[in-house]
Amino acid sequence: MYPWFLLAALPLPVLSAVGKTHGVPPSHVAKYVPTTSTSGVGQTWTCLDGSKQISWNAVNDDYCDCPDGSDEPGTSACPNGVFFCKNVGHIGSTIPSSRVNDGLCEPECCDGSDEAPGVCPDKCKDVGEEYRKVMEAERKLRKTGSKIRASYIAFAHKEKKRLEGGLVDLEQEIATREKEVERLRGIAKRAESLSAKELERKKQSPLYQSLLTHYTALKSLQHEYKQHLEREKALGDILDALRTGYNPNYQDMAVLEAVRGWETLAGLPRINNSPKEDKKEDEEDGLWSAERIERELNKLLNIDHVSLLLEHEKVVDEPSSQSILLDVTAYLPDSFIPPYLAFREKLLSWLELLGIKAGSSDTSSEANRARQALSDAEHSLKLTQEELQTAHEDLSDLFNPEGFGTEGEWKKLDGLCLEKDLGEYTYEVCLFDEARQKPNKGGSSFSLGKFTSWNKLAEPGTPEYYTRQRYTQGAKCWNGPQRSLELILTCGTENVLLTVSEPEKCEYQITGTTPALCLPVEDGKRDEL
Amino acid sequence: MRPPAVFFLLGALLPASQILAFKSNDFKTCAQSGFCRRGRALSARALAADLSWRSPYSIDPSSVLLAPDQASFTASVKSALYPEVNFGLDLRLHEDGVVRVRMDEIGGLRKRYDEAANWALVAPPRISRDISWKVGKNAVRAVYGEKKNIEVIVEFEPVRVVLLRDGVEQIVLNDGGLLHMEHFRTKDDAEPVAIPEGEAQTTLQLNNRAWFEGEEQDAWWEESWSTWTDSKPKGPESLSLDVTFPNHLHVYGIPQHATNLSLPTTTGPDAGYTDPYRLYNSDVFEYLPSSPVSLYGSVPLMHAHNAKSTVAIFNAVGSDTWIDIGRTETGTKTHWISESGILDVFLLPGPTPADIIAQYTRLTGTAPLPAHWALGYHQCRWNYVSSDDVRSVQKRLDNEDMPVDAFWLDIEYSEGHKYFIWDKKNFPDPVEMIKDVEALERRMVVIVDPHFKRDSSYPVYKAASELDALVKPKSGSGEYEGWCWPGSSSWVDFFNPASWDMWVSFFKTKSVDGQWSWIESTENVGIWNDMNEPSVFNGPEISMPRDNVHYGGWEHRDVHNINGMLFANQTYNALMQRSDPPKRPFVLTRSFYAGSQRFGAMWTGDNVGTWEHMAIGIKMVLANGLGGFGFGGSDVGGFFGNPDPEMVVRWYAVGAFSPFFRAHAHIDAKRREPYLLDEPYKSILRDMLRLRYAMLPVWYTAFKEMSTTGIPILRPQYVVFPEDAEGFAIDDQFYVGSSGLLVKPVTTRGATSASVYLSDPQIYYDYFTSHAYPAPAKKVTHGRTVTVPAALHEIPLLIQGGSIVPTRERPRRSSALMRHDPFTLRVALSTEGSATGGVYLDDGEGYGYTNGEFVWREFGAETKKGGWGKGGELKIWSKDRATQGGSNDVAVYNPANVFAKSVSGVRVERMIVLGVGSRPALVSVNGGSTVEWEWQEGIGSGATTEGKAGVLVIRDPAVGITSDWQITVVF
Repeated sequence: MYPWFLLAALPLPVLSAVGKTHGVPPSHVAKYVPTTSTSGVGQTWTCLDGSKQISWNAVNDDYCDCPDGSDEPGTSACPNGVFFCKNVGHIGSTIPSSRVNDGLCEPECCDGSDEAPGVCPDKCKDVGEEYRKVMEAERKLRKTGSKIRASYIAFAHKEKKRLEGGLVDLEQEIATREKEVERLRGIAKRAESLSAKELERKKQSPLYQSLLTHYTALKSLQHEYKQHLEREKALGDILDALRTGYNPNYQDMAVLEAVRGWETLAGLPRINNSPKEDKKEDEEDGLWSAERIERELNKLLNIDHVSLLLEHEKVVDEPSSQSILLDVTAYLPDSFIPPYLAFREKLLSWLELLGIKAGSSDTSSEANRARQALSDAEHSLKLTQEELQTAHEDLSDLFNPEGFGTEGEWKKLDGLCLEKDLGEYTYEVCLFDEARQKPNKGGSSFSLGKFTSWNKLAEPGTPEYYTRQRYTQGAKCWNGPQRSLELILTCGTENVLLTVSEPEKCEYQITGTTPALCLPVEDGKRDEL
Repeated sequence: MRPPAVFFLLGALLPASQILAFKSNDFKTCAQSGFCRRGRALSARALAADLSWRSPYSIDPSSVLLAPDQASFTASVKSALYPEVNFGLDLRLHEDGVVRVRMDEIGGLRKRYDEAANWALVAPPRISRDISWKVGKNAVRAVYGEKKNIEVIVEFEPVRVVLLRDGVEQIVLNDGGLLHMEHFRTKDDAEPVAIPEGEAQTTLQLNNRAWFEGEEQDAWWEESWSTWTDSKPKGPESLSLDVTFPNHLHVYGIPQHATNLSLPTTTGPDAGYTDPYRLYNSDVFEYLPSSPVSLYGSVPLMHAHNAKSTVAIFNAVGSDTWIDIGRTETGTKTHWISESGILDVFLLPGPTPADIIAQYTRLTGTAPLPAHWALGYHQCRWNYVSSDDVRSVQKRLDNEDMPVDAFWLDIEYSEGHKYFIWDKKNFPDPVEMIKDVEALERRMVVIVDPHFKRDSSYPVYKAASELDALVKPKSGSGEYEGWCWPGSSSWVDFFNPASWDMWVSFFKTKSVDGQWSWIESTENVGIWNDMNEPSVFNGPEISMPRDNVHYGGWEHRDVHNINGMLFANQTYNALMQRSDPPKRPFVLTRSFYAGSQRFGAMWTGDNVGTWEHMAIGIKMVLANGLGGFGFGGSDVGGFFGNPDPEMVVRWYAVGAFSPFFRAHAHIDAKRREPYLLDEPYKSILRDMLRLRYAMLPVWYTAFKEMSTTGIPILRPQYVVFPEDAEGFAIDDQFYVGSSGLLVKPVTTRGATSASVYLSDPQIYYDYFTSHAYPAPAKKVTHGRTVTVPAALHEIPLLIQGGSIVPTRERPRRSSALMRHDPFTLRVALSTEGSATGGVYLDDGEGYGYTNGEFVWREFGAETKKGGWGKGGELKIWSKDRATQGGSNDVAVYNPANVFAKSVSGVRVERMIVLGVGSRPALVSVNGGSTVEWEWQEGIGSGATTEGKAGVLVIRDPAVGITSDWQITVVF
């Protein structure tokens, strides 16, 4: 079992029998020649760093003379030395001197030259063959992968065209919408100036004033309510995280009590216990359910009070709302009514234009309608402008080294969700978006973070830069930092996640493959290492 | 190199959150513990009564019965308080002069626990047949010792046991009259006498024991604390004993406490602590770096030291024990209060610190020689999360050419914390992983705790449950259920012999007779036994209820401190039986008791990444060595927290000079494996790791010495220089074995130099720079302090003149791979120009050494009279030490043994002679061939002013490490 028995059986100065160039890389062999000293002390040699002249006999004699370790290329005598194994039939390799003559056959030295003769067999023929097979397989993989990658790049170019085309359309649309907004603004202005005075008067109504107070109160309540909901959710998240993530390692029964308490309160099934039937709470008579509050409260608060005021006037004053003069229909025979109405319509609009009949309820609702139309148009314009903004951003990200890569090869994968099921949890990474840990047996899922950056340790644009993605600011650990993820990718023909680990508490590491990393193989030029 | 200013910035930015996290509410103070309260009240009454205080215990002179052929006698003891109760006294003189004093209640209602010593002692002590007791009118006496200068007197009334040397009192039992053995009683008898109101005046007359026992039946039958109630079915049974060292001002020992080595007092106006020291094995979360509270282990051994004499007492008790220490003008008074058990005290006569340790380890056993790999660097973390993680840590250390010998797995390797059962999601290929580690001759160490998840599909729990080998609740039947890592758990009861075979079969790597075995392991895996205090998350003081029941019906209170030792004991036994031929087991335990040194290594538990913890860890390891358990260390880097790089570097220096060298970190801590640090820290760590490995011959030789004589590996100043009073309180520097290496690890931020205290008028050399600190010019009786460089990359490490230090300086990936590397000998000449040293070698993992398969060389150097003048001569030689005796294994030793042959090709490649004051003329080997050498000019060993020492480097003398040779340096 211990190869050094072979060593031990030999007489003490065995290692001095090592050849002078043993362990020397081909590039340095020429430097390992003796100088014949003029002073007659025999052949000498100078350390490669020039620091010292030593006897030629002291080269590879298993005693370290040179500070740079260069006199012992073939032994373990110098702590800072390196050893070169030729590995004929394979590729030459360098190992630290600390691995020379330690009784172990180094995989890097398939020729066995790192140990005394006879200790390690020469396996370079097989190793070399195996290596070439692996390299060939890798090359094939890269080739296939790079084809897929090319399709990603093509997609990016199409996407670019699509976005650019969209830009033109959007810009045109914006121009149209801007005009429309301008037009409606003019109408609304006119309508409002007619109705403003009358409206002011009506606003003095106690009902309206009370409505405003109710509105404020409701708005405040809603604000409070939302805050409470948020706090409750945050609290729930914390407790959920505690419940699923706690390690009973703080010798703290208080934590356990908290978990049990939360399970009871939230009606959660105990972990490892079968889930209980969900109970539905009955709504109290007349009161809104939480869903209904959620659904209808906003609607209620968004009602235009002015319109409401005017509607109200209409309902309450229906019979006497219009002047007798104008309400002639009551005195007219039925057959006269249609022509009269047509006349009145014309008259009114004529009067309105002259500013004679202003402040009537009808004009107010007219102003209201105009205002509504303007607001709708403005909203549409804003949406379109935002769309344009996004399109601009998408376009600039497309070939940005810090975005979807210099060739846009990552655009295709934007938002692609990959999953890895590990029994207890499924890990999901939506590329360029968010990573999550989802329990398979129920319970809430946690964010492991949102995409923040590529590999910060590498230069943007280099292949190394795209091998890592950072996802940060995930859900907070109950006793630790916010969760984060490092996604480590290599070239592969599929977009898949391979392994998931948590090397430090709440800092996850997921490995996977993607064709986006398969750079094209330069044909005809094999890798030579 | 000066640490850049950025260190200080980093320090200032450290979060303040790690200040104090010790949960004092989790543990009792003396005032919260009934029997301790009673014990302290007793001593308070004695103090108040002063001279009128008189112990109620006396020996009936007519009962003294001498053994016919042995130095032992028995006698009956009565307490004036309870004349109807009988106590029996048993005194024995051992062959080596140790006195054993035992006292038990005779014919009582119940039996006191009397098995503590059985577990602690390695073998029944040999009673002297040469010494005889002489019965006098007032006392029994014996005089013995080579010079007939030791005397033991057992006085009758009151009972008092005195050990004297040269007529001077050394140890006195019951000098203060605090001896009290609470006899068993029934609850009815004990009902207090009802005293009508307003008649308190008559109380004293009614209760004539109150002057001694107090008025109240304080916590006799039940005791509540926090949310727990202790049912105390046996009632009061505590034991109080005062031990006085009338002429010793320094006491050491009683590990484990986070205190100075010379123990601060706990009573009197200047008391260092207000509570007594406590021995009650406890899992203390983030313990304080200076406190008398009990920690994970208990060794009830106390040394008392003065410039002329060292003595000690070993109090073999396994129950909760509190110890008060007070000082008089000339000596030390101690008061030991235990919850239960018989009185079983050993008086160790010394007279030197080394004698005490020899006497103690003769009783409880010496540490066995560990596997050589266990002295290397251990890389641990809670947790390496997968087999690939383990492989990657190994690879990254290898890529950095940083040596390491063991990779550790904490609890997360196991599925649901069911120890032995691999979590296959993350460790799909455990055996392949272990073999990948073993391929580089390294080892894996895997954790196994004593609590088993209560899950009938878990074979380990199932087997123990079926054997009825689990600890029982107070009812005495069924299985105690508590909370630990796996959730609901039960605890294996290693007091039950039925569990022993079960444990052996668990560790077999092949199933035997269909029993469950850990087939997914190898014969080389080491085991980490944690949580064996035992730690119970939902139990009183994070441990078991005291009324739980162990094998034989003993309550947990009786055996608490012994419990943890049995766990490591049985694991050690199981690993020993795992392979044939056996390999030396490696077991790390957190909890320990007297005798635990026989079963592996310990560490100082869950320390915190602070400078204070770094410093206290050194003292704790020193104290443990004095308790016979020298194979210890503290978690490098601190278990809790995220130490900055400066602290990490300093902590590696502490670790590199600890017998057990392991880096460990809590699951919440950032990773801090040495390859993760930036430069220059990374390179400094590499150098420190390599220094540890270079010095493995020194460490292994020191372990060999410890295994034969018990003498600790790290030797405190007072142990090496017992007569130098200035060194008695020094506990921040130490000598490594008998190598002459003196280390003072830096444990403060920003240090650039360190002060080292030197007791002896001898020259010392800086290990790294060869700077010499010569002996004082004039003969002086006191020591001196020298300042040595201690920048971050420097370790204050001196070689005492007169030492020869063997090292192996070729970096390798693991210690086993150094087995055939050549040696370097550092010859540090004394002021007289001489030096001695030695090295012990064997195969490092088997028991061949017990058959004489080892090499133990002695090196010497001497300068001929006339010194380095022309024609002067310096001779350096090697000779066989084994043939000169000193080892237990010498009887079968043969210089041409199998192991010696296997290393006969190993040579000494370099000798570095320090303190050579002039240029030699030539250097020859064995009177023949000359060898090359180089001399660096500097001062000689006899110089009187500080400066760089003259250094002679002898180049490759090519002499074998196993052969006799002589080098002659001619001037």
